[in-house]
Amino acid sequence: MIKSVLLCASLLMLAGGSARAAERGSPTPACPQGVLTLRLLRSINNPPQPDVVAAWEAANPCVKIEVNEVPFGQLADKISVLAASGNPPDILGYDGPNTASYAAAGVLLPLDPFLPAGFKDDVTQASLTEHSYLGKLYSPGTQQTTLAMFYNATLLDKLDIHPPRDLKSGWTWAQALEAIKKCQQGDGDDVAIWGLAPSHFGTGQPGFVYRDLLFQRSAGDPKAPPDSSAYKTYFAISPDGKTADGWLNTPEAIAGATFYRDLFNVAKVTPKAGIPTAFQDGHACFTLDTSYFMAGLIKNDPGFKWGVTPLPYIRSPIVHTGSVTLGVSSKTKYPAEAAKFVIDVSTGTPAEAYAHRARILPVLKSVGGKMPELNEYPLSIFYAELTAWGQPRPPSPHFAQYDKVVSDALRDIAYGADPKTRLDAAVRTLQPILSR
Amino acid sequence: MRSNKVLVVRATLRVLAAGVILAAIIVVFLLPYAWIVASSFKPQATIFRDLNPVGWRSFVPINPTLDNVVHLFTQRGVGRALLNSAIISACQVAGTLTLCSLAAYGLTRIRFRGSGIVFVLILMTFLLPIESLMVPLYQVVAHIGLQDTLVAAFIPWIASPFGLFLLRQAFEELPRELDDAATIDGAGHLRIFWSIVLPNVRTALATLALVTFLFSWNSFLWPLVILQSPENQVIQLAIAQSVAPGQLPNWGETFAGATVATLPLILLFVFLQRFFVRGIAMTGVKG
Amino acid sequence: MLRDSLYSYQLLNPDDRLFVGLQNYAELLTNPDTLQSFGVTFGFAAGTIAVVIPLSFLLAVYLNGRLPMRAVVRTVVFLPVVTSAVVIATMWTFLLDPANGLINGALSGLGLPRLAFLTSKSQALPSVVLVTVWQQLGFATVLFLSGLQGIPNELEDAARVDGASALQRLRHVVLPLMGRTTLFVVVIMTVFALQSFAPSLIMTSGGPEGTTNFVVYNIYQTAFSLQQPGMASAISAVFMFIVLGISLVQMGLLRTKWNY
Repeated sequence: MIKSVLLCASLLMLAGGSARAAERGSPTPACPQGVLTLRLLRSINNPPQPDVVAAWEAANPCVKIEVNEVPFGQLADKISVLAASGNPPDILGYDGPNTASYAAAGVLLPLDPFLPAGFKDDVTQASLTEHSYLGKLYSPGTQQTTLAMFYNATLLDKLDIHPPRDLKSGWTWAQALEAIKKCQQGDGDDVAIWGLAPSHFGTGQPGFVYRDLLFQRSAGDPKAPPDSSAYKTYFAISPDGKTADGWLNTPEAIAGATFYRDLFNVAKVTPKAGIPTAFQDGHACFTLDTSYFMAGLIKNDPGFKWGVTPLPYIRSPIVHTGSVTLGVSSKTKYPAEAAKFVIDVSTGTPAEAYAHRARILPVLKSVGGKMPELNEYPLSIFYAELTAWGQPRPPSPHFAQYDKVVSDALRDIAYGADPKTRLDAAVRTLQPILSR
Repeated sequence: MRSNKVLVVRATLRVLAAGVILAAIIVVFLLPYAWIVASSFKPQATIFRDLNPVGWRSFVPINPTLDNVVHLFTQRGVGRALLNSAIISACQVAGTLTLCSLAAYGLTRIRFRGSGIVFVLILMTFLLPIESLMVPLYQVVAHIGLQDTLVAAFIPWIASPFGLFLLRQAFEELPRELDDAATIDGAGHLRIFWSIVLPNVRTALATLALVTFLFSWNSFLWPLVILQSPENQVIQLAIAQSVAPGQLPNWGETFAGATVATLPLILLFVFLQRFFVRGIAMTGVKG
Repeated sequence: MLRDSLYSYQLLNPDDRLFVGLQNYAELLTNPDTLQSFGVTFGFAAGTIAVVIPLSFLLAVYLNGRLPMRAVVRTVVFLPVVTSAVVIATMWTFLLDPANGLINGALSGLGLPRLAFLTSKSQALPSVVLVTVWQQLGFATVLFLSGLQGIPNELEDAARVDGASALQRLRHVVLPLMGRTTLFVVVIMTVFALQSFAPSLIMTSGGPEGTTNFVVYNIYQTAFSLQQPGMASAISAVFMFIVLGISLVQMGLLRTKWNY
């Protein structure tokens, strides 16, 4: 037994040093201060892309970036636990709407001292709002995304359906549903082609706020009087981010959520469980996705014609803005180096190259100016949506919790729960957290 | 003659019934494993295709591929996770054996007031869902600066009520005369513990070692809470990460992960079955 | 833990805490979601036990006979016990998948309708119970088996000589002697069921509509996802208190049946 205890101790030593923070190696001729290793957490397939990291490392030979990744669905929980552990990674790739949460809890470092002069003027308004808290900027922003509806043109041509290609003539959900129903092949247990593909955002289950909260928000109206329930439905949270009651569970919101539920349960045009790559494989006529999805369709030709139409709406058009972005942990021992990495890969040539290749919408106006494709179909639809219809996800210092509670509720509604009961329950859970 | 015939028919029926039950049990318990293992050697598209309709193809990889497994080891750090799990489990086994055998010795060989109450109190913790303690436990471990270390993953569990229980039982069975003889020869407690008691309870120790290994290898919630860095990832977390929850990027890879995580234990179990069964039986018979 | 349960704070920022007294407890007792999670957990435990006990008893009786392939069956039934809850939850998530799962594939192959399983409010909990039964059956069977083997052969032989049929022997000789073992199995299965976590996390995220929101998962969510460790501590305290009560009752019963 003594032997096994000794063995155990030596094994632990071998595996040791595992709870380390960023560290400097020993000095080398090229790097008199030693090579610095910074730790970075990102969600799988999200920025910074490996080639961007490699290029930056080549330009900064004295700093190494150690990349760790988790699936997007687990990113927020992971960051919560990491931050609480007191030893978070130096650089965090996090979901932009959480900026206020993390800034308020002291997880993120304000980047203002590290930013070049006049930088904030170059940032598009949506990103500036999302990544600021109490007047300080916490992330330069890596990309903007909006949702639009992709369609399988080969299938739709046969039905003589031609979805609109500009915002002005964009479909309402009633019109879209008609087309979706017509295009679906098979029903009940035996569906060959679904009208609308299942979501592949977040956990892959229905309910992802970025996509699925839009149904009920679009049932509201920003032009209605500010004390009306239509107005509140559109914003889905009070301006101070402390009240969800009367914003998330209005009659209009319930009507929107009912439409959403009926897609799964009455019209049965979209499945409740994820089907990997349903649209690309030709098993779905329509799918809601970002411009990033386009890059995939261009790279791997699905073998059919496809097109993009603006996101349908119930009463008022709306799309969510904001995306995964990079920030610096407030606990890092090397804030200058970490901030340099974050700013370098989010601006200038890396940002241009990335925006161009990934078909995302740039955060910086200076980058957008060099992208003529932003004004060409189909990317033009996403870009026009960003400026004309874009709204942040409901801003609150407790967005992470809002996101979690609301997406649980929407998932249940998709599975068939009563929208009013379920939204009321979500508000009940949220209210004490938001008002704290 | 007639009654003979009835007997024969009865016997045949009985064999038939036994056969049917046997087949049902094997199908219900083995097929899911067969599907997972077979699918871990298939590309994603084939997994789906072979399910419609379900047939023998669902359970046999026709053009087996190692891509899933290779990808797991090269991209997902499963090798590292396996190593971490092995280290944690080994340490937990060593720690539990040391601590529980010492405690069991104390409870059975050293008379002190309230030893019975101590034992009952310890037993009660066995019945509590320790999982519900994770928040305070997390804070304690974080407070002493052990969070996100491999040590933290097993330290709280080496004081195992189950282990104490099992070893106490074995220690009690050992005749006291042995100790008395040793005492007369001038041996102290340590000497008696080391040279007389321990060698005589080898089977119980082996059983405890196996069961502890099993629980440690399979533990999930605590590592999920306490370990964060990918280099400290354990195997159960590595699998859950590629699955949880809902749709996944790659079914084949997830199945391969499940296979890799389960195989070591299944092998261990098949070869050392009698220790596992004995351990469980002991808790039952003598509880 | 009891001290934490009197505060309101976030794990992200534990130093910024507010003393709220018993408010967490008051909220907990009026929060239908928490109450539901307690109800669901105990219902789950009761359901699992109700299925596991008779099945494992029968299986043990069956295995106790002289049968070919006894060892094989015992090994096979025991496999899920050594498989981790994570792997089992993963495996069954796919077996039960509404679109591409093996079980639905088999059902539609037999011309039966596909079932929604985990995405349906009424089927999710029974599905999880079934999976848990599948996992724990081997454990309970081995416990029963060792109990059966503890019954002296003479007793059964005597009954046989008296002309008792197999069923009668089971009813009048074996069952009365198995009371204590049964209680013990109930205790162990209760402990296992109340600790369930992986099915909620991996298979259902506690849904649909909280029907599989087990207490341990609820505590995890409240502490880490919702950042309310104070509330989570309060739930833990209440849960421990209830479980302790149940355990004491069960242990008391065990003691009274100690000797036969």
